[in-house]
Amino acid sequence: MIAATELARRHRLRWWEALPWIASLACFFAFPNYLAFGTQVLITILFALSLDLVLGYAGIVTLGHAAFFGAGAYTVGMMAMHWGWNEPISGLIAAALVAGAIGLASGLVLLRTHGLALLMLTLCTMALLEQAANMGAAWTGGFDGMPGLSFSKILGLFGFDVLYYRSQYLYALAVLFACFAIVRTLVYSSFGQSLTGIRENLLRMHAVGAPVRVRQVLAYTVSAALAGVAGALFTQANGYVNLAVLSLERSAGVMIVLILGGYGRLYGAFVGAIAYMLLEHVLAKAYPTAWQLGLGITLIVVALFARNGVIGIFDSLRRRIERSAR
Amino acid sequence: MVLFIVSVGLSVTMGLMGFVNLAHGGFAMLGGYAIVLSMKHWGLPFPAALAFGFFAVAAVSVVLERLLYAPLYRATELDQVLLTIGLVFTMIATLTLSVGPETQTVELPEWLRGQTDLGFIEYRTYSLALIVAGTALMIALWFGFERTRIGARIRAAVDNRRMAQSMGVDVGRLFTLTFALGSGLAAIGGGLGAEILGLDPQYPFRYLAYFLIVVAVGGLGRISGVFFAAILIGVLDFVLKIYFPKGGTLFIYALTLILLLARPHGLFGKKGTS
Amino acid sequence: MLETKGLCKNFGALEVAREVNFRLERGARHALIGPNGAGKTTFINLLTGVLPPSRGSVLLEGEDVTLLAQARRVKRGIARTFQINQLFRGLTVQENVCIAVSERLGVGGSMLRAAGRRADVLDEAARLIDMLKLGQDADRRIIELPYGRQRLVEIALALGLQPRVLLLDEPAAGIPSAESHILLDAIATLPKDIAVLIIEHDMDLVFRFAERITVLVSGAIFAEGTPAEIAANREVRSVYLGSALDG
Repeated sequence: MIAATELARRHRLRWWEALPWIASLACFFAFPNYLAFGTQVLITILFALSLDLVLGYAGIVTLGHAAFFGAGAYTVGMMAMHWGWNEPISGLIAAALVAGAIGLASGLVLLRTHGLALLMLTLCTMALLEQAANMGAAWTGGFDGMPGLSFSKILGLFGFDVLYYRSQYLYALAVLFACFAIVRTLVYSSFGQSLTGIRENLLRMHAVGAPVRVRQVLAYTVSAALAGVAGALFTQANGYVNLAVLSLERSAGVMIVLILGGYGRLYGAFVGAIAYMLLEHVLAKAYPTAWQLGLGITLIVVALFARNGVIGIFDSLRRRIERSAR
Repeated sequence: MVLFIVSVGLSVTMGLMGFVNLAHGGFAMLGGYAIVLSMKHWGLPFPAALAFGFFAVAAVSVVLERLLYAPLYRATELDQVLLTIGLVFTMIATLTLSVGPETQTVELPEWLRGQTDLGFIEYRTYSLALIVAGTALMIALWFGFERTRIGARIRAAVDNRRMAQSMGVDVGRLFTLTFALGSGLAAIGGGLGAEILGLDPQYPFRYLAYFLIVVAVGGLGRISGVFFAAILIGVLDFVLKIYFPKGGTLFIYALTLILLLARPHGLFGKKGTS
Repeated sequence: MLETKGLCKNFGALEVAREVNFRLERGARHALIGPNGAGKTTFINLLTGVLPPSRGSVLLEGEDVTLLAQARRVKRGIARTFQINQLFRGLTVQENVCIAVSERLGVGGSMLRAAGRRADVLDEAARLIDMLKLGQDADRRIIELPYGRQRLVEIALALGLQPRVLLLDEPAAGIPSAESHILLDAIATLPKDIAVLIIEHDMDLVFRFAERITVLVSGAIFAEGTPAEIAANREVRSVYLGSALDG
C-alpha cells in the first residue's frame, strides 16, 4: 500500500496560505491612503479567481468573461437605482444569482462548441450584453452608465466611505475570503479533479463515463456567479457602473492577470492581480505607452516561454530542485 | 468592402493556418500607417503606396511569423491568444511612440474624389473603386487558392501537415508565405479603409470584433464565404443603423451568435475545415 | 454478453464495418485480429458508442444499447483502452486512476469533500496501482513516464471502472516485452465472469491469452474459432498470419 501520497495531502491547509490574508490585513493598517486602490486589487483578484475556475481548471477558453462581471455590476446598480434596494449583502447574492443564471443559460448552449467557435461565441455573448446595456438606456443609463449610486451600511454597521474606502476594503476582503473558500473547496474536490480531467483529455473523460457537459456547465455557472459577485463589489465600492465593465478590454485584462500569475493554481490570481495592478498603477500613469509596450512584450514572452506564469516559473524551479535532491 | 479586404487576410491566416490570430487588426493598422506615411513624407502616389504597404507589412510579418508564430502552431488556443494580444499591445505602443497618438488621414488622389454618375445613381467614386478592388481581389484569391499549384499545396499542408511534408512540400516556408500574404492583404485593407474606418493606434482593438465576426460567419478559410459575409454584415450594419439606430449592432451580434451555434463552421464553411 | 447484429459503418463510400454479427460471451477471453486497416479500432468505437453505426445494433445482455451515449454505456459496464494513450498527461498517475474510480463510484460530481479525503477512492486506486506495478510512479505525472509505463496506466484506468466487458485496443503495443507479463497478470486477476476482448498484433500474446479468435478483414468477419482452428485455417494464414506462425 502507498503511504500518504501527494494527492491525499494536497487539500490540507499549509502555513503559507495564511500569508496573503495577513498581508492584506496588514496593508489595511500600513497604507490607509491606498485603500481605494487596494479595493480594486481585491476585486480583480476575485474576478481572476472566477476565471481560473473555467480557464485554469476546466480548460474552457473564453474571451467573454466580463459578461458576468458586468451582469453582476449592473444587477446591483439597477436594483439600487430603480427599486431603491441598497442593502449590499443581499445585492451580492442577487448579482450572483443573475450572473449565475446567465452563465447557466449561455453555458448550456455555448459549451456544445469548442475551440475557435467557442471563443467567438463567448465574445459575442459579451458584446450582446454590452449592446443591450447600451440600448436600454432607461434602465441602465446607456453609454453614461449609472453614476452616484449609494448603498446602505454593511450589516447596518459600517457605512461606505467615499474618500478612504476603509469599509470597502474590509468588505471586499471578507467577500473575497468567502469566495476563495468556495473555490478552494471546489478545486480540491472530486468535482475539481474531474474538471482537470476534462481539461487534460476530453476523449478519456468520455471513456470513463463522466457526464462531461454537465460538469462543464456547472463549472461555468459557478464561475459566472463568482464573477457576478466581483462585478457587484465593483459597483458597490465605487458607487457607479458604466459600459466599461462589459468591455473586451476587461475580459482580456483579467485573462492577462490570470495568465501572468499562473492559471490552474489557486494563488495565481493573487500574484497576477497584485503584480499587474501595481505595475499599472505605477507605470501606466507616468508612461502609458511604455506600459503598453512592456505589457505586450511580457505577454509574448509568457506565451512563448513561460506558459504557467510567475507561479509556474517557481513551480518548475522547485520541481527541478526536488529532482536533483532525489 | 473594406471589411472584406481586411477580413479575407484574416481568413487566410486563421482559417487556412488554424492559428487564432487576434493581431490581424494590428497588421491592418501597420499597413494603414505605412501607406499614409509614405504618401505624406515621400510623396508616393496612392497606388504605389498601397503596394509599398503590402510589401512592407508582408516583410515584417515574415519576421514575426518565423520568430513568434511558428513555435506556437501546435500550441493551445490560449497561448496563441496571449501571443497575439501581446503583439497588438506592442504594435500600438510602438506606433504611439514613433508616430504619435493622433488620428492619421489619407490624402486621396484627385481621380478618386467626388461623385461618379452611374446613370441611375450618383455614388462616391472612392466607394465604387473599393467595390471594384474588392471584387477583383476576391476573384484573384479564389483563383489562386482553388486553381493553382501553390493553392493546392497550402490546402494540402493545412489538411495533413505530415503527409504534405513527406510529399516534399516545405510546409514551414509555405506557411510563412501564406502568413505574409494574409498580413499583406490586411495592410491593403488598412490603407484602403483608413478613409472610412479612421486610423489611429486604437484601431486593432476597435475593429477586432468585426473582423472576427466576418470570418466566423463566412467560414474559416473560405474566400468566397468571407466575401459574402462581409457584404452581408456591412449591408446589415448600414441598413439597421438607419432604420433602427440603437439596436443595429445588437442585432448583428445576436445573429452571429445564433448562426455560429447552428453552424459552427460558418455560413459558407464546409464541415470539418477547422 | 455483448453482441452486434448486422453492424455497418460507412465513411462516405468507404465501408469500414460490413454486416458484423459478433458475440462476446460472459467470461470470454476473446481476441480480434486482422491486417492494418481491417476496421478493428472502428469496431471498438462502434461498441463503445464513440461512433454511431450506419446500420445494425449493439446489444448488451440482450438489451439494445445502440442509441445510448458513450458515458451511459460505461455506466452499464463497457470499458475500453485506447490504441494510442489517452491519459490526463499533466496529472499524476494516482490522479489519473482516481478520476476513473470516482466516476465509477458516482462521486465524480461531488463538490464539497476533498478528493484527497475519499478513502474508498484512494484505496481502490492504490490497489490498482499496486497491481500494475506502478507503485513507485504514483506521484509522478504522466508526461514524466516512459511510454511503456503510461500503457499500464491506460489499463489501470479501464480496470478502475470495474467493467463487465473490457475492450483492449492493442494494450501491449509500446510495452517492452519484458513487462508485458504485468499486463497478462493483471488481466488474469480479473473476475472470471468479465468478458475481455483484445485487439493485438503480437501473435505470441494472442495465443497465450485468447480462448477464441475472430479475424476481421476489410470490415467483415473473415473467420472465427478457437486458437487451434484459426492457426490451422489456411486462408487466414494466407491473408494475415503468414510468417508469424510459420516461423
